[in-house]
Amino acid sequence: MQYYSIKKEEWDKTLEHLLLSYTIFATVSNEFGQDYELIKPADIGGITYNIPKPATSLKSFFLPVKENVTSARAPQKPRIILGIPNCDIEGLSLLDSIYLDEDYNDIFYRDRRENTILISSDCFGKQEHCHCTTYDIKPFAVRISDLAIVLIDGIIVFRIMTEKGNEFIRTISLAQPLTDKNTLESIEKKHNAVEESLRESQKMLPDYKKTGSLVSEANMKIFSDHSLHCVSCGACTTVCPTCTCFLLIDKPGFEKVKQMDACQYPGFERVAGGEDALFEIKDRFRNRYLCKYVWKPEKFESRACTGCGRCIEACIGKINKNEIFLELSR
Amino acid sequence: MIIMLKDRNIYKPVKAKLTDVIDESSLIKTFVLIPEEEFSFKTGQFIELSVDGIGEAPFTPSSSPLITEKLEVTVMKTGYVTEFMHNLKPGGYMGIRGPYGRGYPVEKFFGKEVLILGGGCGLAPIRSLLYALENVKDKLVKVILCYGSKTPADCIYKPLFDRLNSTDKFEAYRTVDRADDDWTGSVGVATTLLNKIKINIENSVAVVCGPPIMMKFGTIRLLEMGFKDEQIYLSMEKNMSCGLGKCGHCMMGEFFVCKDGPVFTYAEIKHNPEIWK
Repeated sequence: MQYYSIKKEEWDKTLEHLLLSYTIFATVSNEFGQDYELIKPADIGGITYNIPKPATSLKSFFLPVKENVTSARAPQKPRIILGIPNCDIEGLSLLDSIYLDEDYNDIFYRDRRENTILISSDCFGKQEHCHCTTYDIKPFAVRISDLAIVLIDGIIVFRIMTEKGNEFIRTISLAQPLTDKNTLESIEKKHNAVEESLRESQKMLPDYKKTGSLVSEANMKIFSDHSLHCVSCGACTTVCPTCTCFLLIDKPGFEKVKQMDACQYPGFERVAGGEDALFEIKDRFRNRYLCKYVWKPEKFESRACTGCGRCIEACIGKINKNEIFLELSR
Repeated sequence: MIIMLKDRNIYKPVKAKLTDVIDESSLIKTFVLIPEEEFSFKTGQFIELSVDGIGEAPFTPSSSPLITEKLEVTVMKTGYVTEFMHNLKPGGYMGIRGPYGRGYPVEKFFGKEVLILGGGCGLAPIRSLLYALENVKDKLVKVILCYGSKTPADCIYKPLFDRLNSTDKFEAYRTVDRADDDWTGSVGVATTLLNKIKINIENSVAVVCGPPIMMKFGTIRLLEMGFKDEQIYLSMEKNMSCGLGKCGHCMMGEFFVCKDGPVFTYAEIKHNPEIWK
C-alpha cells in the first residue's frame, strides 16, 4: 500500500486550486449533523474528516432520484467526492455489479463512475447504529475507493488504492510519499481501536454468514409483527446505500425518465392482470430482508447490507433491523 | 456510425411502424410492427413494447422468430397501457426495447416429444414456439398442444389448430371452461386435455404458458403424470419493467425473471415457495 502526505493548510490550498478543474462534494457538519455539500472556496475550512457517515448515502451521486435516460447528457466537469465512509464504498460493489453488468451496461452510471474520484474517509468514531464490522466491513476503505484520507496531527495522509488514485495524487505537487512509520502506526492504532469498539458494541448481532439463513428460515410471524409499525414510506430504501430499484416512466417522443422506486411501496410487483405478490405490507416488509440478506448476496456475492444503520435512524415507526436480527437469532 | 455494445443506451427504445392491427377476440389484438432498426429474437424471449408518452409493458412476440423483417405482438386489453395499445391504428409508431431474457431452449427438445400446455393469452408466445418447432420438426418426435380458453369466443388463432392437425408430427387439442351452443369440443380446464393424449413421458419435455393459476395446477398435474422437475419448462409472468436485471420489480427469489428467465425449468425455481404468487 502506498501512502502520501500533505500538511492540512497546504491541502486546503490545493483544494482551492482543484476547484478550478473539479466539482467537489465533501462532508461538512451543520446543526443537523454531517452531510455532503457542494464545496465553494469559502467552505474548504469547514470540511470534516474522519467522522462517521454523512446523512446521505453515496448512491445519490451515481443514481439520481430522477433523470431522463434517453436524452444525451452534456459532458460534465470531473468530480471529487471527499469524505465517503467505507460502508458506502462497499455498497458500491453491489451497484457496480448491477449497473456495470457486461450485458446491460448503464452508460449514465458508468459515465458518472468514470468521471468521479472517490476519496474515502477512515472512521475514527462510531454512531449509535453503526455496525459495519458485523458484515465483515472495516470502518476504513480497503478497496474500490481511489484514495482514503486521514487527518492526523495537522497532516493529511492519503492511502492509494487504485491506479486512478495514483494518477490523481501525482497531480498534487505538494503531496509527498509518506514513509514515517510512527504516523502509520498511529493510524493503525486508531483503525484497531475503532474496529474493536464496533465489534464490542455489536457483538450480540449475528454476522453476515448467518443473516441469510436466519431470514430465509424465519417464521412469517416475526415479519408480520414488525410490519405493524411500517407505513410503507420507503425511508429505509431511500437512505440505504444499496437499494437501487427504479421505475421507467414514459414521456412523449419515446423518452424515458428513470425514477428511484422501492419494494416497500404498494403496487411494486403488481402486474396488469391484477396479481400482486407483495400486496400485503407484511410481504413487502419481508421482501426487503429476503432481498438484502438472501437473494442479492446469492446472486452477486456482494453485501447488500453494509451495516451503516441509516435505515434504523430513518424509520418513523422505530423499526430496528438489528433488534429483529437479535430476535431471529434467539 | 457503429455504436459499440458498451456505449449503447439500454433504456432507449427502437421505433417500430405499426402496419396492421388484427382483431383476435373482443379483448385481444395482434399488432404487426416493422422496427426501424435490425431486430431479431429467440422464441420465448420478450420485448418491452411502448405507447409513446403513455407507458410500456412486456410481451413475448407471437410471430415466428425466423421472420426478422416484421414482428407480431398479441396483446390482451387488461390494464392502463394495453387499453391505449388497443386504440392504436395502423400507420403510427410504437417503441420496442429488447429482446430480453432466456427463451425456450429448442435445441434441448431435439429427439423428444414436446407437450405444450397453454391457456388464455399464453397462446401468443406458444404460437411463436410452434413456428420455431415446425421449422425443426425433422429433429422432433412429435409436438402436442393442449390449449384451454374461457369460452369459444376467447380462443385466439383459431385457424392455427386445423393447420397444426394437418401437419405431420403435430397434434392440437382445445377445450373451453364454458361452452356455448355451437361448441362441440371438450369442456373443462386445460389440464383435462392431458387425460386424452398419448405421450412417452420419459422422452418428453413439457412447456407451460398461461395465467398463473393454470401454470400452478398445470405443473402439479404434469408432476402427477410422471414428468420430472427438469422436464417442465415454465414461462413466468412477473412485473418485468426494465428487462435489464436492474429495476428489481420482477425479482423471484435470487432470479431476475426478465434476465434469468422468463423461461425456467421447474427444477430451477421450485425451491422458491412464492413462485405461484
